[in-house]
Amino acid sequence: MTDPAKPLVLVLLIAAQTLCAVVFLGDIIADFFGNAEHEPEGSHTYIEALATFALIAAIAVEIRILIWLLRRKAHLEQALSTAQNAVQEVIDTELDSWNLTPAERDVAMFLIKGLSTSEIADMRGSAEGTVKAQLNAIYRKSGCGSRTELMSALVDTLMGQRVRPGTAVQG
Amino acid sequence: MAQFPVWDPFVRLFHWSLALLFAANALVIDPDTLLHSTLGYVITLLIVLRLIWGLIGSPCARFSSFPISPSAALKQLRDISLSRRFAHRGHSPLGAFMIYNLLISILGLGLSGYLITLSGGAGFAWAEDLHEGLAAWTQFSIVLHIAAVFFESKRIRVNLVRAMFTGIKEIPRHRARD
Repeated sequence: MTDPAKPLVLVLLIAAQTLCAVVFLGDIIADFFGNAEHEPEGSHTYIEALATFALIAAIAVEIRILIWLLRRKAHLEQALSTAQNAVQEVIDTELDSWNLTPAERDVAMFLIKGLSTSEIADMRGSAEGTVKAQLNAIYRKSGCGSRTELMSALVDTLMGQRVRPGTAVQG
Repeated sequence: MAQFPVWDPFVRLFHWSLALLFAANALVIDPDTLLHSTLGYVITLLIVLRLIWGLIGSPCARFSSFPISPSAALKQLRDISLSRRFAHRGHSPLGAFMIYNLLISILGLGLSGYLITLSGGAGFAWAEDLHEGLAAWTQFSIVLHIAAVFFESKRIRVNLVRAMFTGIKEIPRHRARD
């Protein structure tokens, strides 16, 4: 069975629900400001409006999930084995604890994969100066002084030598 | 900063006259008037000309330069989610979806409008429903289109509105993508 959490599936779902929301919203606008041709529907209109706004809220949540999914999958394209996924998960947890922006996180992933500053700039369509500033932010937020130190921190976590922030001592 | 000539004069003229005529017909002019249907035919003619131009026009105007591609659109969505700032020279993949959506919807508006005039006010109730539904959908699409243009202009730091006036996109070299 295919994974239902595929970005394309989610996009189609969002598109279909948006279509519905537009139809319902148009109907509600017509009810509220409508012409005399239609008889007033009274409180029924409010229930319709409530349901429509619930639908719009659901669409907003789905868009958030889509963004999260796209970010997560961006660096997972070649990771097919369970081990690779496990490593990715450890890295994700570590990066989560640094509170990086989406752009910094993307840069950090390329950094971990061993790309140089100019290569990262190429991959992201940014100027090298931008990437350097993002690298500095990553070092500052992670408390690591250099790429080597950052890699050591990750390897330490992978080997279970270091207690990960947030998962402190458990019974 | 590199300058890419992307929109030829026909594309620009088409875009702004379509925008103007559609806004007039949808928001200002009474649907029951002769003016509404006349403008409707002019708009339909504009769309037909654009369809022909999509086959023989300048490189960025051709349909072959902006195919419907879900995978390319997902790639653009991924770039958005990761704040990557690549700018497409011509139409972006998501933009392509919007263009085909608008071309088809507005063509449908023209055809359903023609059917309504054939019936002379009586019958063809489904054509009227279709016409009104398409009108609502097209207006929603245009709101989305305008919002997306401003969002993308800010994201990739390229003034897309100005490009539709001058025909030229100014994109930093390292950021340009075909």
